[in-house]
Amino acid sequence: MIAVLIEHREAQIKDISFEMLTLAHQIANTQKQEVSCIILSDKCQPFADAVKNYCHNIICVENDLLNNFNNQIYLPILEKIITETKPTLTMIGHTGFGTDLAPYLSTKLSMPLLTDIFDVELSPDRLLIRRQMYGGKITAEIISKKLPAMVTVRTGSFEKILTSSSAIKGLNANITNVSFDIDQSILEKSKFLEYGEVPTTGIDITKSDVLVAVGRGIKEQKNLAVIEKFAEDIGGTLACTRPIIDAGWLPKDRQVGSSGKTVKPKVYIALGISGAFQHISGMKSAETIIAVNKDAEAPIFSVAHFGVVGDLLKIVPMLANRIKELKG
Amino acid sequence: MDIIVCLKMVPDTSETEVRVDSTGKNILKVRLINTTNEADNYALETALLLKEKHGGTVTLISLGAQNVDEVLKMGLAKGADRAIRLTDGLFETGDAWTRTYALYQAISKNKFDLILTGCIASDDGNSQIGPSLAALLNIPSAAYVTKVEMLDNTKAKIDRELEGGILERKEISLPAVLTIQTGINTPRYPSIIGIKRAGSKPLDVFDAAKLNIDPKIIESLTELQQMYNPKVEAKAQFISGSDDEISEKLATLIREKAGL
Amino acid sequence: MGIITITKEIRDAIIELGGTDAYKCYQCGMCTALCPWFQVEKVSFLVNRIPHNVKLGNVMASEDKKVIEKEVEELFRCVGCDNCLEYCPRGVNIGDIVRAIRRILIDYEALPKTLKDITTKIYSSGNPQGDSADKRNNWAKKLNVPLYSPELEYAYFPCCIPAYDAQVKRVAESTTKILKATNSLFGVVKDDVWCCCEAIRNFGAEKIFQEIAKNNISALDKAKVKKMIVTSPHCYTTYKNEYPELGSTIEIIHTTQIFAQLITNRKLKPTKPVVKKVVYHDPCTLGRQNNIYDEPRSVLKSIPGLELVEFENFNRKDSMCCGAGSGGLWLDWQKGERMSDIRVKQAVDTGADILAVACPYCLIMFEDSVKTMNLNLEVKDISEILAESI
Repeated sequence: MIAVLIEHREAQIKDISFEMLTLAHQIANTQKQEVSCIILSDKCQPFADAVKNYCHNIICVENDLLNNFNNQIYLPILEKIITETKPTLTMIGHTGFGTDLAPYLSTKLSMPLLTDIFDVELSPDRLLIRRQMYGGKITAEIISKKLPAMVTVRTGSFEKILTSSSAIKGLNANITNVSFDIDQSILEKSKFLEYGEVPTTGIDITKSDVLVAVGRGIKEQKNLAVIEKFAEDIGGTLACTRPIIDAGWLPKDRQVGSSGKTVKPKVYIALGISGAFQHISGMKSAETIIAVNKDAEAPIFSVAHFGVVGDLLKIVPMLANRIKELKG
Repeated sequence: MDIIVCLKMVPDTSETEVRVDSTGKNILKVRLINTTNEADNYALETALLLKEKHGGTVTLISLGAQNVDEVLKMGLAKGADRAIRLTDGLFETGDAWTRTYALYQAISKNKFDLILTGCIASDDGNSQIGPSLAALLNIPSAAYVTKVEMLDNTKAKIDRELEGGILERKEISLPAVLTIQTGINTPRYPSIIGIKRAGSKPLDVFDAAKLNIDPKIIESLTELQQMYNPKVEAKAQFISGSDDEISEKLATLIREKAGL
Repeated sequence: MGIITITKEIRDAIIELGGTDAYKCYQCGMCTALCPWFQVEKVSFLVNRIPHNVKLGNVMASEDKKVIEKEVEELFRCVGCDNCLEYCPRGVNIGDIVRAIRRILIDYEALPKTLKDITTKIYSSGNPQGDSADKRNNWAKKLNVPLYSPELEYAYFPCCIPAYDAQVKRVAESTTKILKATNSLFGVVKDDVWCCCEAIRNFGAEKIFQEIAKNNISALDKAKVKKMIVTSPHCYTTYKNEYPELGSTIEIIHTTQIFAQLITNRKLKPTKPVVKKVVYHDPCTLGRQNNIYDEPRSVLKSIPGLELVEFENFNRKDSMCCGAGSGGLWLDWQKGERMSDIRVKQAVDTGADILAVACPYCLIMFEDSVKTMNLNLEVKDISEILAESI
């Protein structure tokens, strides 16, 4: 059995849950194994409904104390479920929840843990995973020396599971409700208070997967609004070059470059940035660099993977509309 | 308040190319500068700030050969009180479990209120040791912490970073393990006076035998088979056409690369 | 009145690493007044306090985080332009004192992150950009410049910045055009010769400087290089004045020197007029530090149609630093704290169309200032102007 811990927050099931289900079925198919979902919540039903056609079994633990994630409450419950149901492989998202939980849990279970994986090969006696090291500059293949084992799965590494997937046609999971007496004293050790928002002044552009950066080519401060909206639409963060900071249009923490931040996002969209030496040193390691600039000779194109020679003020609004269409 | 900070020495690869050596199981270590793991540096600063505010001591602990003393001395120069280095061939060949267990054995012989370490190591990227250590010590833990505020001698209020600009606020009782996210503070520079005084602060070295560690227990649970450089895309492919065509092509590209 | 106590352990450490000049200083304050920072309104940089504080051992002596932070920022302000040394009545080499302090700090990573990153990049791949060592000569391959071999008279080393940077590459290209036009026999140095490490030595990375400098010397020795032309005054001064201590014997020639020589020997005759008013900026490292003032000017004067003008007051040995020395190029100071902004304004005041430079660092700094300040001024390397004329 392959177990998937369903992740949810504030009554919303997280995408990583469906991504892990895709991976779980990939492995389960080759191994003729079943896929089980584990749901810990104050209200399990909506989550069970969301995944019941994508797995063979669902194990639900319902308790008012499980309304919000709390690693110390999750631990004894998952320890018990995993010990009793013995999944060959347990999958947890490599997320804010998973990184808080998985290493603790695997250690309690004396189980090998492989974190932040983006690929798995499982045979009856061997688990091989692929993951990045050295900030993505190296891919490593690592085996677990024993089974069962646990992995945390990198977000966005797999498509979300779809209803049309033939491999899982006709699935309708058996739901098992497990009751668990939660020791109230755990709350003394670890108590959830609330969710908060990261203060916007403290926006850390180094942590964003998608950066939309503007340079001198933006021309006027009022043009920033369009770009900012576009960044938001694609789930990105707004960044900039030094002249934008000089002009006082954006705060210093948005600056990319040798006197600003060094960034390595998945996607870096450089708009109206010619590519001064100091700027390039801060962004050239981005996985994909897309540059839009009027000047075909701009040095930014020497580091960009994709280039557009054109007027960003014309292209960005059109692009924003296209993105909206694609997102449906 | 007595704080233990786990520090890791890593090669600074943030600005360099990383190549694989002939064994295919390690990176080529030539021409790399060793440094304190970035997140650990923030953990150390968190400890020093808490010490300045609440008093107490800061003890540093690290695993590795003698060159790791550089990292420990840097921490001592910044204001930590003492340092411990764990060194043994057995630790070198191990994995995250091996290192966690060695740290556990050394730490459990000490008095502490708080254990701090970085949320991720820049070399292996495991994000594993902090919470694992808490499991062995049977104390609570919190990962990716972006704010620590002491409520009293036994409780701290903390923020943890989740995805999408959201954070989780919680109360945690001490002793506890917190893994610290980068950016929580601004790590300090050591002063020259600090550098000069670091030399006379205690730095103890222990091996597996001294820690009474049974070699069988710390056998690694995982094994690295091989490593390689991921493929990189060719440079500057120009997208042309009318503005409308360009927008369409760009939209598809962004959707694919950003995983919208 | 408090009693002054001397922190001997700090003082002795700095003196030992080369700060002895501190004892020569009698606190006249000339250095502070002459420091280019003195012209930057926002910044107060009291240079004469440095030798004073060294004598007292009062350098990074606090354990207060904020105080240390400020002191590190101060200690990395000195751009090593040597304007203070030029006029110091006691011959105090502030650059040496500052370097001694930085040598202590760098081992403990007490330096701005940007400079730490530059050190790492140079150490691992041989250039401050952190690009692959084997891409160093890509620019030359495109122009079919051969690798240096002993039958060629000159080796050419364009400095890391023209070799790797898309914007500054044109300096290496125009130099090549000129040398080719005169049938000079030259080839580029093989890619196992790395950054000269002048900048990182000045900001304290002595151990890495030593290691790479020795590698460079042996690589040039193996390639049997006897004469080497360099574009950057920084490479020039390092090879000329610092590498000999480590065993280097090669003759080093700055591009403006070879250009002037070729013109004097009538091997090169600029013919196409460049009808422009040009002001020449003396790079600190070429002028003040190596007394090369006349060759760049004679090259410019030989170009038909070109009118050469001078900066008012701040020329030749009084030239004002662009701010890029000793790591300043990468520190990239904030608006209002840039020497280059002041310098390009001085250039505009001369009525020049072109600000001519003879250093890639100055070129980057001034081009950036001209762009950010939206000035009507072109910034060009002398090689570019000369190449236009042939």
